[in-house]
This record gives sequence, C-alpha cells and structure tokens, in this order.
Amino acid sequence: MTHLRRSLRCAALVCGTLALLSPSAAAQTRTPPPRPAPEPAVRVRAVIEAGARTFTASQSFEAVLGSHAGVIFGAGAEALVGRNLFVSFGVSRFQKDGERVVVANGQAFPIGIDTTISIVPIEVSAGWRFTSPRRTVIPYLGAGVGWHRYKETSEFATADEDVQFTKTGFQLLGGAEWRASRWLGVAGEAGWMSVPNAFPGGATSAAAAFDEDDLGGAVFRVKVVIGR
Amino acid sequence: MLVAAAVAGWLSTTAAQQPDRTGGVKQLLSEINAPGIDRGLRDANRPRPAPTKSSRWMTGAGGTTYLRDSLIVRFRPGTLPTAQRAMLAQVDATPGPTLTYADFDIVALGGGADPEDAARRLRAQPDVEYAQARYRARPMFVPNDPLYPRQWNYPQIDMERAWDISRGGATSVTVAVVDTGIAFRSATIRYTGIAWRREDGVAFPALGPVDIPFAAAPDLGTDRFVAPRDFIWDDNLPLDLAGHGTHVAGTIGQLTNNGSGVAGMAFNVKLMPVKVADDEWDFIFDSPFVGTDDTVARGIRYAADNGANVINLSLGRDSRDGGGPAPVVRSAIEYAVSHGAFVAVAGGNEGLDGNPAERYAEFATQIDGMVAVGATGPDRRRAVYSNIGSHIELVAPGGDFSQGGGTGGILQQTIDLDLTETFAGPVSRYTAPRFDVFAYFYFEGSSMSTAHVSGLAALLASQGLKDPAAIEAILKQSATDLGTPGRDNEYGYGLINGRAALRGMGVAR
Repeated sequence: MTHLRRSLRCAALVCGTLALLSPSAAAQTRTPPPRPAPEPAVRVRAVIEAGARTFTASQSFEAVLGSHAGVIFGAGAEALVGRNLFVSFGVSRFQKDGERVVVANGQAFPIGIDTTISIVPIEVSAGWRFTSPRRTVIPYLGAGVGWHRYKETSEFATADEDVQFTKTGFQLLGGAEWRASRWLGVAGEAGWMSVPNAFPGGATSAAAAFDEDDLGGAVFRVKVVIGR
Repeated sequence: MLVAAAVAGWLSTTAAQQPDRTGGVKQLLSEINAPGIDRGLRDANRPRPAPTKSSRWMTGAGGTTYLRDSLIVRFRPGTLPTAQRAMLAQVDATPGPTLTYADFDIVALGGGADPEDAARRLRAQPDVEYAQARYRARPMFVPNDPLYPRQWNYPQIDMERAWDISRGGATSVTVAVVDTGIAFRSATIRYTGIAWRREDGVAFPALGPVDIPFAAAPDLGTDRFVAPRDFIWDDNLPLDLAGHGTHVAGTIGQLTNNGSGVAGMAFNVKLMPVKVADDEWDFIFDSPFVGTDDTVARGIRYAADNGANVINLSLGRDSRDGGGPAPVVRSAIEYAVSHGAFVAVAGGNEGLDGNPAERYAEFATQIDGMVAVGATGPDRRRAVYSNIGSHIELVAPGGDFSQGGGTGGILQQTIDLDLTETFAGPVSRYTAPRFDVFAYFYFEGSSMSTAHVSGLAALLASQGLKDPAAIEAILKQSATDLGTPGRDNEYGYGLINGRAALRGMGVAR
C-alpha cells in the first residue's frame, strides 16, 4: 500500500514537470520571462596593455639605441558610451638604454657614453566600436591626442645637458576586441602616432643629423580589458 | 713653416727654403745626459683676471661659496605641511616651488639671513632630516699644475668639463707631431757648426765640432714617445732644435695634474715625434735635408704607416713666394686619412700680411678627415694674424698678443730660447746652444690652435672614435658658432668645444 502511494506521487510529479515544460502548458501558464538588466549608459573598463612601438625617427633611435623599436607597457581606462562610442585614456612607458654617438656621412659611431631614453605618452582617444549581437569580436577605430613626455639622460651629464620635455601629438588607432567572458576581453590594436617638431633643429643631436624631428611612430598593443 | 711668428726675438731665416745639401755629421756621443733643467716661466706675466663674481653668491666663514637667499631642506616623512611652514617661519623662510627629481625642497630665505646659519637652526628641529646651504658645485677636474691658471685657452674651449668625460685620453692613441722634432729624450750629440751669413749680412764663424746636450722636456715625460723619426737628419733622433715642435707637443699632451708646470689636452696619449722641418741650428749644423713639401709628405706617410691616429701639422707655406699648390702633400694627407689618421693643419698666420693662399690648408675642405684651423685670442675673437678664407673650418685658441698682451699667447714648456737663439744677437754672443734647459713660453700662431684640435681629436679617438671623417664631423657639429651665424671665412664652423665634442650626440641633444 505504501509502495503504491509512493509510485503515484512520483508519477504525478513527472507529469507535472512535463506539463510545465511543454509549449501548450507554457501557453496555458504564460508569465513574462525575467529580462536582463538594462546596460548602463556609460560603462567604465580598466585596461592593461603590453606591446611594441617603432619610431618615425628611425635612424636617430637606431643610432643611439641600436634599434628603432622597443617594448611598451601601460595601463588605462576606457568608457563605453552607449553601444558604440568609446573614450579611452592610457598611459604607457617605453624605456631603453643605448650609447651616445657621433654621426658622420649618415653613419653612427658610438663613443662609449651610456644613455637612457624613456618616453611616457599619455593618450586620450575616442572612437567607434562596430558592435553586433552576432559578433563576439568587436572591431573599433579611433583617434585622439597625446602628450608625450620624453626624457634622455646620459653618463657624465649635468642637469642642463640631460633632456626632458613634453610634446603634444595625435594618434590614430584601430583594433578588435574579443570578449572572453562577460567581464573580460582581449584586444589587439595597431596605432600610429605623430609628434611633430619634437626635436629642436640645429642642436647637436642625432635627430638633427638625420633631419628627423617626429617623436611618433607605429604602436602595436595587446590589451586586457576588465569590465563589461 | 708656421712657427709662432711673434715669439719674441724670433729670427726669420730662409733655412727651410735651402736646397738639400750633402749635409753635416750628427754623431750620437751619449744616450744619456742630465735631466732637463726647468727654468720656469720666462715672460713677465700679469695675473689672470679674477672670475666675474655674481651677487647671487656669498662666501661663508669657511671660505665656501653658496647661493644667498635660499637653502636646501628635507623634512622627515609624515611631517605635515603646516608644521613645515611653522618651522620655516622660525628662520624667516618660505616654501619654494616643487622640484622635479628631488626628494627635498628649496626654500626661500627672507631678510638677508645667512643660509648656513638658517640651515644650522633648521637642523636642530626634530622633523628636519637635513638642511644645508646651496653650495656651489664646480667641475670635478681642474688641473693642479701651478701655471694652469695662466692657460686661458682651456677654459675657453670648455676643457675642464671635457676632462670630466675623458681625463687625458688613452695610451692606445698616438698623435704624430710632424714638426721640428720634440725634446723627447736625453743625449749628447756632436755636430759641426759651419760658417754662415745671417740675412742682415752679419757673418758668423764656424763653430767646428761641438757637443750639444739634449734632454727630454720635463713636463712631457719620457715614456710616451713612439716611433720617432727624423727626416731632416735621416735618423731616429728627431730632436727639436727650434722649440716649436716641443711647444706644440705640450699643448697636445703635456703631463697634467702632476703638480708641475702647465697642462695639456690629451695628457695620456702617446706622442710620435716626426721631424720634417729644419730650423736655424739644423742649417748651421748643416743638416743633410731640409723641410720641403716632399719631406713633409714623407713625414705624413711615415706617421700614417706607424699607427698615428692623429697627425698634427702645424706647418704650411703660403703663396707669397709664388709657390703653387702642394699635390705631394695633399696626396700624403689623403693617404693618411685613408689609413685612419685624422689630420689637423694650421690655417695660416698671414691674415695681416695679404692673407695669401695657405698651401697645405687650402684643400682641407675637400678631404673628410682633415681640418684647417684658424686661431682665436683670449677674448674669443679671431687672432689678428689668423688667415681668413674658405679653407678655414674651425678655430681654436692660438693666442693673440694684441688682445691679451704678453700673456695673450699659449703657454707651454719648450727649450729655453735664451740659450739657443745665440745667433740672433751680435757675433760676440754667438755660442753653441744647449737643448737641455727648458722654460715656459707664450707662443701665438695657428700652429698653437692646430695643437688644440689635435689634442681634442686624440681624446675623441680615445673614446673609440677612430674614423677621421667622424672626428671632423663632431668637431664641426659641436663647435661654438662665432662671427657671422653659420659657417664663415673667419671662424669656419666656430670655436672647438671640448665638452660638447666628447659628449657626442643623443637622439635629442
């Protein structure tokens, strides 16, 4: 008797469950599904980045640093306004050691005086994200302005011989972001910066010797985006 | 030969234009002789003017110099700004602007307070880690040679700060002094003095065999000479019978910071004495060869073949005698440059004498790795005698008695001319010379300015810069522009700058 009662109770439970899952049953008991919370108008995300940059003044940097490219690290923040517009703020840093040179007939001769160059661009950019519900990879394009702090120090130098200045430039950028999860994305980005008239003409410098005065160049970054 | 034309009492003869002769005999009697005698500064001098003193500086009780009206202070971490201001107020000080690259503050002092005293009072505060006056920092290296303060020429080209970068250069670098020889060693040599007649007609009797003592110039040292060669006497004893080459060698590499005499530019480098120019005593002793274009050319080639990194050519001839260009010398210089030797050549001393074409210097602009050098005086103006022309590429201190009086020349040690120029006076005073006594003389001429360029080139070579064209390039690029902005015919690209040249270039400066 007890066994029979337990079997009936199980059968009723299975039937009830099936009735709830069947469309006809749903139609009979329709209630609005819970809707996802609306996205905020502005979403702020943190960004950590690493990459490489090259210099438009390639001969000058090649002469002193032995290379016209180097590694950069940086961080920043990004605000998404609505679905497509973004505004980003980032600070990165390039630093490399080299040796002062003499330039003659287009050739650089190192002279054994150590030097260190560091560049810290602070960039503010805005752009457009080409979002689509079907895409998990979001391409984007942007442009902005940057303030590039340049510092060049060397062995034996007095304070007035070292160089430090900040110049303003602009940049164009483009990339694509892949959403790995709701809170994490990874982006690959390429950019091009121009910082014209960064190096004063007439000075005894590699930039003057090679007639190069732009501190900009190309930049390639991998960004880790934290936030929705 | 651009022997310093204004050396007091210098007698000009035409010895350098004599044809080759069969030649007298030069017999080395002894390899040793007493050490050279240093008879000190020869010319009357006035002391150097005191440096300009700015009212910004004040001198403390201990004789130290520091800025008035401010001092340096560092408060302990965590000291509140209000507490800092209160402490500063006790010494009548107020905070200054925030400094970059500093973990300390510069505070302004009011009321004419003594910074040393104010610093002392601040240090007594428990929240002050340290406080001090703003003592004046000076270049690290000022040679201790007693006559160095009379060498206005080195501060003029910023050598004190240049020596902070390269203190005298490297022993692996060799500068060839292609000149009248150098007082580089001791010896006693037997010559035979012939009878001769001076330009003014005075006849001098034959001295016959004479034993002449030589010594190394005390302030040049003895262990730094390599590959000596004499093309006037055709041997390996290029002894200086004129004093010119020794003076030039002194500017290039006089021993420095040795508590003696004067300073030189590249005081560690090796010197190669190459004698290609004869002088009065070579003539009187009847040297087998004289200084002509071919002799100079051979000397240049010899220097290049024997490893000279820099060749100093404080020599030349001008077009007044009707002589044409010197392709044999040009070819030799091209050979030297192609073998890695930088060549500095005198720009000429005839600026007041028709400014004729300077035969050795005139093609300098056509050879990368060779520069023609004009001269400046103590006030950084072109020396009155210094040639003007498109061949002048650089200027360097050469001295100018018309600007600086008796001390307006370049001071260096050389043989005591009072004991060697016995031919310049009456016959009754004519005696055999001795070349083992030395004194410090002021000379002027583009010979002297050329030696500065060679010295600086040697310092550059010591930094690893061995390419002659690169040395020329940095000398020009780092020169201090004088006269008409940009290159001009008086100063070329400007006055050499030791500090700027040795610093080379960064990307931005």
